[in-house]
Amino acid sequence: MYKKLQSYFRLAGAYTVVGFKANLEYRGAFLSQMIAMFLNDSVWLVFWIIFFTRFPILKGWNVNDVITLWAVSAAGFGMAHACFGNAISLAGLITRGQLDNWLIYPRALLPHLLLGKVTATEWGDILFGYSAYLLLVHPSLSDFALFVFLTFAVAVLFLGFSILSGSLAFWLGNAENVCDQWRFAMITFSTYPASLFDGQAKLFLYTIIPAGFCSYFPVQALKENSLLYASYSMLGALAVFVLGVVAFYIGLRRYESGNMLEMRS
Amino acid sequence: MNAIKKYFFVAWIAMRSNLAYFSEVSGRLIFLGVVLFIFLRLWQVTFGENGAKTLGGLTLAQMLWYLTVTEAIILSSPPVARLVDQDVRTGALSVQLTRPLYYPFFCLFTNLGERFLRFFLNLAVGSVIAYIFVGPINFRADGLALFLLSVPLAFTLDFSVNFLIGLGAFWLEDTAGLTLIYSRILMIFGGMLIPIELFPEWLQPAVKWLPFSSVVYGPAHLFVKPDLAEFALLLLRQTSALLVIGIAVYWVFQTAMRRVFVNGG
Amino acid sequence: MNAVELDQLKKTFQVKQGSGFKRSSKEIVAVDGISLTVPAGQSVAFIGPNGAGKSTTIKMLTGILRPSSGSASVLGFNPWDQRSKLAFQMGVVFGQRSQLWYHLPPRDTFELLAKVYELPPADYKIRRDMLIERFKLSSFLNTPVRKLSLGQRMRAEIAASLLHKPKLVFLDEPTIGLDVIARQELRDLICEWNRDEGVTVFLTSHDAGDIESVAERVIVINHGQVVLDGSVGEMRRDYLSAKLLTVAFHDRPASFDVNGAKIIERTDHSCKLELDTSVSPVSVVVPQIMQLGEVADITIEDPPLEDVIAHIYSSKHSPQQRY
Repeated sequence: MYKKLQSYFRLAGAYTVVGFKANLEYRGAFLSQMIAMFLNDSVWLVFWIIFFTRFPILKGWNVNDVITLWAVSAAGFGMAHACFGNAISLAGLITRGQLDNWLIYPRALLPHLLLGKVTATEWGDILFGYSAYLLLVHPSLSDFALFVFLTFAVAVLFLGFSILSGSLAFWLGNAENVCDQWRFAMITFSTYPASLFDGQAKLFLYTIIPAGFCSYFPVQALKENSLLYASYSMLGALAVFVLGVVAFYIGLRRYESGNMLEMRS
Repeated sequence: MNAIKKYFFVAWIAMRSNLAYFSEVSGRLIFLGVVLFIFLRLWQVTFGENGAKTLGGLTLAQMLWYLTVTEAIILSSPPVARLVDQDVRTGALSVQLTRPLYYPFFCLFTNLGERFLRFFLNLAVGSVIAYIFVGPINFRADGLALFLLSVPLAFTLDFSVNFLIGLGAFWLEDTAGLTLIYSRILMIFGGMLIPIELFPEWLQPAVKWLPFSSVVYGPAHLFVKPDLAEFALLLLRQTSALLVIGIAVYWVFQTAMRRVFVNGG
Repeated sequence: MNAVELDQLKKTFQVKQGSGFKRSSKEIVAVDGISLTVPAGQSVAFIGPNGAGKSTTIKMLTGILRPSSGSASVLGFNPWDQRSKLAFQMGVVFGQRSQLWYHLPPRDTFELLAKVYELPPADYKIRRDMLIERFKLSSFLNTPVRKLSLGQRMRAEIAASLLHKPKLVFLDEPTIGLDVIARQELRDLICEWNRDEGVTVFLTSHDAGDIESVAERVIVINHGQVVLDGSVGEMRRDYLSAKLLTVAFHDRPASFDVNGAKIIERTDHSCKLELDTSVSPVSVVVPQIMQLGEVADITIEDPPLEDVIAHIYSSKHSPQQRY
């Protein structure tokens, strides 16, 4: 068991090194994509700063809370996909029959598959998240430690959600669009204060679009210095992750490889 | 007369070739549905907490319709800079020059044809959603006419800046970065997320005179609050900005053409 | 020991037809009860027209797809339930898909594969250096794959699939797009490997030459069923002995008659001949052609495999079927 785990860590290391090397072949493009994402996130921060200059409190949230929210979700999203870049393109890989490329190797399919790609934009997200939190919120050391833990929780959440939404393609076939829209809704909701929503919308945030584990618990945990809220965030994230993995492996039994295309011709 | 007619024909063809865009309607419906729902909640809460009937001169319903129009404007933008950049780098531009068409006008009308189609489609989808969320606002025929008259200049202005960036391909290694920076500045200083009246007081005059607000904020504000004086002012801003940028485009294009004829493209 | 044993392997797909509300689904049988055994160390060519069920069969053998019914044992493993265990001993090359990282030199992919297959570093180095030498990779080992010629890329590709000393190698169209020399080089390498290391080779190809020079045994499959299963020697004698010659002349020869060749097409200046090389070899026919007039151009090609298969198919009920 330990040896297996060690071997997978080594594999992860090897893929990350190779992924970086591949990106460094075009370091200009890597850097500009990274900066582009950083800039994109910053625009939203500027919007919120303008907003809070005019309206200092929004349902108990102040500008620092929203900056924290953006920092946690951007860093978490980035960490989920920076080295697991294929999680985002899972639906496409399934419908185009490209899982074959990984099925020929003696490794557990899902971790191996996810490892296959390092993406530049996500490093921009990570950079943004951490620098926004450190430079604008000025946390104490313990706050920062909690923040790091929370970004990991949110990373698990997004990774799990990407696997879950991508696995939908096993059932829906050519439905990349549906997966993308679902993920888009998740990402959008996870960048607005959860306190804006009540009633049914609130229910949605912990079920169909589980953004609440990113937009509510982490911010609340940092606000109240509460490990309980932090653990809620991690537990929710793990639940989504497990659901995603289960969906993936159940769906895999229906996998039809690339043959369908061949047969149509 | 025929000389002008052919450009309108170019626009018509561009519009027809983009009819496939209709298939994206379902995607747009979800996208705008999510975004506008969040904006609705954000402003409902903000209006409620401030106990205000109007914010920045807009009622809640007007605010949501304003945001619907700004989203429709921003989302309808075709990738002009990328296309021009490609034409320059692949040498397709030299081929275009052999035709009896003035390249900048050819691009402009292709752009307008495509953009109007996308814009009205987005506006139609957005209107349905806004109507469901907050109902109609006080539409008047003459008000809508003012809005419609302000849109072509707004799009032309936006096109000109993008075209200028695309021409940068003659001198720069990469124009994607500049395009992105411009589009993000347009989002924030154009007033896509928040009307300019809610910006800090000291910033407002500058933002209003910058060309970005003439593209987004100007038409959208006319849509929800038609006003002849404001229309006249917007027209003045649009034409003066267009004059400056138009001269820049003319000058840069001439310089670039000299390069093409000297270096052979 | 048998490397591959298949018993009544069958795969059906549901294909959706139409669009919108009028959708219906139809069942398509891709592989229709294939049974065969391949002894360890044999080299087998697996051929058939597009859509015959070749790749579906290979995908089931490699554990990528699950069959609808039937059973298979590959190197003693059930491919779809013991995919990982099988993969340690199996190498796969898809000519149309690369396992090399496009922007990186082959060396980096080799390093990565060493981790994927959990090779001990010392063993890996010995093995890698041996492959570099045998496949003559040293001149481009540190060049990004995107800058390699197709021939170089395929050599690296096959070397990569042999790093972990597989006992069985699946080669799916390995020579596709290669020029004549690169193609022959690659065939020789595969043969050599099959002979020296006793690797079982399972090859699919559209190229009759690949099959002739690499395989001992040919399995022809069509409509999901085995149409012919025999040795390459027999196949060559029965079906692969024909060659097509296209000859163009500067002048107008009086006749195109050549002993042992059949005229298929002709114009004033050129003709297309078919010859049976078992009766009249190329070396005998070509000098005769030279006598006819001033030759401008000659091309010699194998008849397309599709024609050969069609031929086999039409004579399926004749007593030529063996094994």
